[in-house]
Amino acid sequence: MKKKKRKTAAEGYLFVMPATLIVLLVTVYPLVRGILVSFTNTNFLYPQKAKFVGLKNIIDIFKDKEFISALGFTIFFAVSSVVLIYLIGLALALLLNREFKGKGLFRAIMLLPWVIPNVVASNMWLWMLNDQTGMINLTLLKLGIIKEPILFLATPFMAKISTVIVNTWKSFPFMLLVLMAAMQNIPKELYESASMDGANAFQRFKNITLPMIKPVSITSTVLIMIWSFNNFETVFLLTKGGPASATSNISIYMYNSAFFRNQMGYASAIALVMLVFMIVLSSLYQYVLNRKED
Amino acid sequence: MKIKRIFKTIGFYLLLTIIVLFISLPLINMVGSSFKSTREILNNNNIFPEVFTWENYRNVLNRTPFLTYVRNSVVVAVLTAVVVGITSCLAGYAIARYQRHIRAFRYFSKLFLILQMFPAVLLMIPLVLVFIKVGLSDSLLGISLIYIAFNIPFCTWMISGFFEGIPVEMEEAAQIDGCTVFQSFCKLAVPLSLPGIASIMIYAFIGAWNEYMMANVINKSAEVKTLPVGLQSFILQFDTDWGSLMAASVLAIIPAMLFIIFMQKYIVAGLTAGAVKG
Repeated sequence: MKKKKRKTAAEGYLFVMPATLIVLLVTVYPLVRGILVSFTNTNFLYPQKAKFVGLKNIIDIFKDKEFISALGFTIFFAVSSVVLIYLIGLALALLLNREFKGKGLFRAIMLLPWVIPNVVASNMWLWMLNDQTGMINLTLLKLGIIKEPILFLATPFMAKISTVIVNTWKSFPFMLLVLMAAMQNIPKELYESASMDGANAFQRFKNITLPMIKPVSITSTVLIMIWSFNNFETVFLLTKGGPASATSNISIYMYNSAFFRNQMGYASAIALVMLVFMIVLSSLYQYVLNRKED
Repeated sequence: MKIKRIFKTIGFYLLLTIIVLFISLPLINMVGSSFKSTREILNNNNIFPEVFTWENYRNVLNRTPFLTYVRNSVVVAVLTAVVVGITSCLAGYAIARYQRHIRAFRYFSKLFLILQMFPAVLLMIPLVLVFIKVGLSDSLLGISLIYIAFNIPFCTWMISGFFEGIPVEMEEAAQIDGCTVFQSFCKLAVPLSLPGIASIMIYAFIGAWNEYMMANVINKSAEVKTLPVGLQSFILQFDTDWGSLMAASVLAIIPAMLFIIFMQKYIVAGLTAGAVKG
């Protein structure tokens, strides 16, 4: 006798259980602890002496000049990275969005920066940007474009630009992949009928491609924005936050507060403020972009 | 007309080649430098060496614990890939198939974005405190656990998109014929989404292979250091020996390069399914 089985909610919960348990234990539990720590004056050296200090840490943050400057650089870094990454990703996706021989090879090479460890990427770029032996400076000097080597990582302004360039180099492949995928899903008939109606390439791009890849663009720019905002490795490995904390972003500032000044409580409070800030910002961004559509 | 088309094709490939060269310039420069002798590396600024030497590679393999770091990274990355593959598949399947039964699953995408927003540094502080307490710091298992937890959200998001793309009718028919849900998952859904599963496992592997920040604060002892932390310590050790540093870096990116060249079809397929649903 065949018994008809029906899906039940219990089975669904069973399936998600292992993943949920791991994430709860290793992400959510520490997160809750992190939030609790941010209301104390926990010091790494004397963990047992921690005392509850209420909102003191959070109030201190807004009076902290170093925090404000770190926030400024973080916003500059995230916004300019997102703009550059989206534009480069879009341009290359448009270029690759056709059939031709060797497409796989070109795409593979373009994806390489994405899978290279940050440690290696930073070494590579430190070597390229070196003011004495770096390839960029030597080439520019040889061509007579500059007289003095450019101090890519030693002056505050150039260091900021350099970190954005390296981050863009490292992250554009993700955007390229996602946008290419979205473009492949656009029905070919749309372009054909538009061409028959006399739309030129730019009009087809503006009226078909852009609207069709909009949902994907929103999600992926939010992701890149979040990742750039929280970025630690790329900037830290390149500049350690220097020169004179010009490229110290929020994550680096938190890291230094926690592990060098041993102010665990204060560092956790910064992280908490950032988390709230980011949730508000990205909800707002998604709300504004999704509303325009209607 | 025909000549115009040929010129267009040549122009297209020329443009692509220039772009690709430009993108991979740091990489080419690194590989070239790794084969230069210590004397040449500071004086010869051509990309490729005049005298080709394996000196730097020998130096890295014989005079540093490089192979220990590689072994640690292999253990951590394989463990991460396997556990993430299994748990994310199960969870992603449920999220794709049980949205009608469990309301909460419909909000998974929102939840996923919020999980992505956690600054890893916020987790770093309590994780260090907790791991010291339970004895997981300075162990390969501990750092793997962190990578597993960090990769599950993104991989679940990707693989659930993949399962959504597979028609549900076959599984329903199998269930009417007496298969349990788990059997139809193992025998129908999993084989059909192997490319997606491959892509999330590669993603998790590369993520674990490359990660530096967490490993740097959790695994401090030499015998459990992973490759990125070990590489970073070379900077101090080698001082200005750029050749050896470049050689170690070249060796460190080999697995990722192999994956991207041979498996890119799967990576692209997996990301496509996850990302396009937005």
